[in-house]
Amino acid sequence: MMKKLFLLVITGTMILQAAAVFGAERPSPDKIIEMANDASYYQGQDGRADVKMTITDKAGGVRIREFTILRKNTGQKDQKFYVYFKEPADVRKMAYLVWKHVGKEDSRWLWLPALNLKKRIAPGDKRTSFVGSDFFYEDVSGRGVNEDTHELLKSDDTWYLIKNVPKDPDSVEFVYYHVWINKTTFLPEKAEYYDKNGNLYRRVEAKKIMKIQGYPTVVESIASDLVAGTRTINRFDNVRYDIGLKDRIFTERFLRRPPREVTQ
Amino acid sequence: MVKRNHKVFKLAMTQFSIRHPWLVMAGLLILTAVFLSQFPKVRFDNDPENMLSPKEYVRIFNDEVKAKYNLYDFVIVGIVNDKDPDGIFNPKTLGRIHALTHELLSLSRDANNRPVIVKRAQGDQKEERVTLDLAHKSLWEKILGIAFRHDPNELFDEEGNSAIIGREIISPSLVDNLKQADLGSLKLEYLMEHPPATREEARIIRDDAMGNPLYSGTLVSEDEKAICLYIPIIEKTFSYNVARLVSELTRDWHGDERIYITGLPVAEDTFGVEMMLQMAESAPLAGVIIFLLLFFFFRRISLIIAPMIVAVISVICTMGLLIWLGFEVHIMSSMIAIFLMPIAVADSVHVLSLFYDSYSKYNDRAETIKHVIGQLFMPMLYTSLTTIAGFASLGTTPIPPVKVFGLHVAFGVGLAWVLTLTLIPAYIMVAVPEKRLRALGPQSNRRQNPSGMLSSVLGRFGRLGYSAWKLILTMVVLIMGISVYGITKINVNDNPVKWFAADHEIRIADRVLNSHFGGTYTAYLTLSAPRPESCTCLDVAEAMDSEANKRFRKYLPEATDQFLGELELLKQLYCNVNSSNEKKCFVELVNRAALIDAEALESWNKLADAINYMETEGLTFDTLLDGIKEVPGIKEDDREILISRLQEYRGLTGERLLQQALDLCDEVLQLSFREFVFEIEAELTAPLFKQPEMLRYVEQLQTHLIENRVVGKTSSAVDALKKASYELLYVSPPSDATKEEKEAYDRRNKNNFNIPDSASAVGQVFIQLEGMKKKDSLFHMVTRDYQEASLWVQLKSGDNMDMEAVVKDAEDFLKTNPPPVDLKARWAGLTYLNIVWQNKMVRGMITSLGASFLVVLVMMTLLFRSPLYGILAMIPLSVTIAFIYGAIGLAGKDYDMPVAILSAMTLGLSVDFAIHFLQRARESQKELGDWKEVCREMFKEPAMAISRNAIIISLGFTPLLLAPLVPYKTVGFFLATIMAVSWLATLFILPAIMTALQKPLFRENMSKH
Repeated sequence: MMKKLFLLVITGTMILQAAAVFGAERPSPDKIIEMANDASYYQGQDGRADVKMTITDKAGGVRIREFTILRKNTGQKDQKFYVYFKEPADVRKMAYLVWKHVGKEDSRWLWLPALNLKKRIAPGDKRTSFVGSDFFYEDVSGRGVNEDTHELLKSDDTWYLIKNVPKDPDSVEFVYYHVWINKTTFLPEKAEYYDKNGNLYRRVEAKKIMKIQGYPTVVESIASDLVAGTRTINRFDNVRYDIGLKDRIFTERFLRRPPREVTQ
Repeated sequence: MVKRNHKVFKLAMTQFSIRHPWLVMAGLLILTAVFLSQFPKVRFDNDPENMLSPKEYVRIFNDEVKAKYNLYDFVIVGIVNDKDPDGIFNPKTLGRIHALTHELLSLSRDANNRPVIVKRAQGDQKEERVTLDLAHKSLWEKILGIAFRHDPNELFDEEGNSAIIGREIISPSLVDNLKQADLGSLKLEYLMEHPPATREEARIIRDDAMGNPLYSGTLVSEDEKAICLYIPIIEKTFSYNVARLVSELTRDWHGDERIYITGLPVAEDTFGVEMMLQMAESAPLAGVIIFLLLFFFFRRISLIIAPMIVAVISVICTMGLLIWLGFEVHIMSSMIAIFLMPIAVADSVHVLSLFYDSYSKYNDRAETIKHVIGQLFMPMLYTSLTTIAGFASLGTTPIPPVKVFGLHVAFGVGLAWVLTLTLIPAYIMVAVPEKRLRALGPQSNRRQNPSGMLSSVLGRFGRLGYSAWKLILTMVVLIMGISVYGITKINVNDNPVKWFAADHEIRIADRVLNSHFGGTYTAYLTLSAPRPESCTCLDVAEAMDSEANKRFRKYLPEATDQFLGELELLKQLYCNVNSSNEKKCFVELVNRAALIDAEALESWNKLADAINYMETEGLTFDTLLDGIKEVPGIKEDDREILISRLQEYRGLTGERLLQQALDLCDEVLQLSFREFVFEIEAELTAPLFKQPEMLRYVEQLQTHLIENRVVGKTSSAVDALKKASYELLYVSPPSDATKEEKEAYDRRNKNNFNIPDSASAVGQVFIQLEGMKKKDSLFHMVTRDYQEASLWVQLKSGDNMDMEAVVKDAEDFLKTNPPPVDLKARWAGLTYLNIVWQNKMVRGMITSLGASFLVVLVMMTLLFRSPLYGILAMIPLSVTIAFIYGAIGLAGKDYDMPVAILSAMTLGLSVDFAIHFLQRARESQKELGDWKEVCREMFKEPAMAISRNAIIISLGFTPLLLAPLVPYKTVGFFLATIMAVSWLATLFILPAIMTALQKPLFRENMSKH
């Protein structure tokens, strides 16, 4: 959940309500995390964003990827994502389709236009690089709130600082991570990951937050691999919520012939 | 008057020492103490890479390549199991490998800087943190460790990070595996996510590994009996300790597995550690041997202590100077002590010998010393100068450690000369009372016994040299002929792993692993284009022109003309000499192509879009038709065409019907100029190593390289690409397929194990590889911009001649098969670096040999004031060097580093015999006037002195023969041989030639008599 991320949706009123509900007594860490998860990944019924991803290697070399991402909430906490690439030229029209099932493995498909190939990707480690960047798949679609135990380490005027320990340590590369959640927006603004030897090796931050259609939205985020010395910046443009995306856009058929929502 | 001044000058140092012996002793003691005080600052350098200057292009390039491709030096850990029926792929062995990998990953240090590893939970054993102590167990090794400041527990950088680069470890537990999974899906995981529980699971890992060209022959052996872990380390200097860590972690592996640790860094680092032992053990041993020899010749402890002190002070001051000047002790300089000791004692042996012989004449220490030094000053000066010249000539080589070695030994020899002139007299004045000397009596029978046999042999030599001179000279000519032939057969070759004795564990590991794997020696062949931006605006326009005609002319002749018109217009506008704006040209072209498309394709686009968004559930032909009829704003003709073409699919419903309708639209829509522009642009502007043509060239190059017998394996981004493309495109045959159908599927799948046909397809497969679990592993083989690539070439042999053959192979291939674009191929990697410094050394040694030959020749000419004598003095050593190198060539012994450095410095050493011989012969001739008589005299005392010296120097180097390290052995063996041969050459050839050349040589003397 934590880490920043694009599609954020939570109504201002929801936050106000939340503040009202929890104003008197401090919310439990689980609740804070759940709200942060909602703020990061579930605003509105659906949404879109144009993403410019800049991957910088240790030597300063830069790779750019541009894609458009669509998201739709389906059912309880389940969601569907459609990612359509525009740059670089050789991956133009490449597309990913992800059906996120909370508590179950996700379904993923891949479309490679130059090979005229649609391939299903078996569920696997979600903490692997998203198209070669320092973001993981899990950063894009969110980490299940029940996969970790949460402990509130600190709370001041601005932040909740929560320590998260995985319930299944073998399934992830971190031993624990800290996340700073903004008390007003409930957006996680920084997450720091620690390894077995207690060393900080990875950081994800929300660098810029804007209110879009009333939703506080991360419009610039950065993931840093502190060991390899690489980092990736994501900039989100043309973010819009509640655009009435049809469920059928998120089907294999639309991999081959992309929906107008991403081509126009 | 002149002569007296000369003599005064010669004796100045000595006279001062006689007058103020205590002052001299105290001064030298202080000097020695000052140099000794530098010792604690000693640093060691066991990196053969430093045979090249850090400013050397190839080293800078090598570092660049390492940085560019994130390459590191590896400790290679081979695990072999040839007992189990499944070889290495059995649950137990794989489990151990998995555990070992994670233990290495978990390495950290505790508060006491001790290494700590985490042993994973296993069965009922809980996860535990284990603190290790890798320190040496034996006291002697511990003391050495402290003395040389080598701490086996040192496995961390200054910040305390592990020396092992965990994320880059190559192990089955940490490398990616792309494989087919349920429902035709593709699974991305590590080759060994979990240790296998059953034999079946272990065999699945085997099949996955064997099916991946990047792993078989590299990570797993093709005979399935071995796995290699490649452990990257931040600095080569950690490799010995990392190797020890691995040994410690695998110590309790009682079973069928055997562990072998190798790799050039380990070899080099281990060499360094053993070098310290070598220095600590063989230098003192050489001292002892010299001491015993002196005792054997002189039988007086009080007498031989003096030369020993000279040797020790020379060594201490020379090493102190080296450390003081900030040089590190390298393989070469570690031999300084052993070289210096026998050379340093030589002069004092002469002095003492003559001192005791002459004492009875003067019965006064001071007078005797003056007499002795007066006699020996010139020969000692010249023998020292020639030795200095020989070693100093190494200063002309382009190899820093050789330079440092040569110049320091030269310094040490000079110092030993000064000490002989000062310390020896002072020592005699202080430590040897007149009383004791007088008690000795005349020396006459002192050396008789030990030297009796020697002198009778020498006498026979002398007669031979005179009477059989023709035979001797004929034989010399014959031997020289054979030697020259032998020299042409010399094989220049070296291999740092072979610096260890054949039964050393590193040599064994090297043999075993290279028999199982593609090779443990690593080189990288990097490919780049000198002008990467070779595709110009005009090239693109031209390609579009011809391709557009091919693709569209037949179906859309008018639109094609329109498009070509626009293209021509834009070409003139943007692609000319004055203004080339490719980007703008492209954007404009896309826009104009879109306009052309709008005319022909807009209706079809709208139709397809409408169909795409239709609900498939309950879709029938009729509802589809209704939908199509409702699409607004399109050409009625197009609508009618689609409907009529759809007629034959009346029977379909739902998703299939919809797909069919979309396919029909796509048939038309593929004639899009806009898409065409995007496509061609993507193809033509693709970076070099996304272009199929270039990648196929790399594939051919690899095929060619592997034909060389020492190349066991090459890996490139192309291998990764082919494997990924195969897995992505893999289609499994339906379960009810017939045999023929299955075979057809199989063929098609195998066909996909290939380079995709377009740059876009390549790019789309590569981007999948960029997002693997082991992040960025693709970028070890290709740069992130895909403009440059690196081939990992594994060699089964680290012999420089083998590496050279591979380099030549690649060169030839590039020459005979021109690449699609101009390509620059450059090598990097340790195995390659070795050939570069070797070549430099061979050339450097020839230069320094030539230089020292000239210098010594000039010195000889000056000394004898005769060019003829000068040349004569050079003959025995020339014959010796030719003979030795001829023998090396004929025996097939490689001309390696130790052999190379020997040439120049032996020249300076072995000329000494000739100097003494000629000097004495000339003087005797003056006295006796008859050459035959002189010859007989020469083989008494003078030949004796020469022989004694030859024996001391030869035997002084023999402790090197006991060394476990081959280069030391080689040096010891060859120096001893060279001394012996040049001793023989001097005693045989000089008298023979002199007999032949009596007239010109002794003209002056003869006429006098």
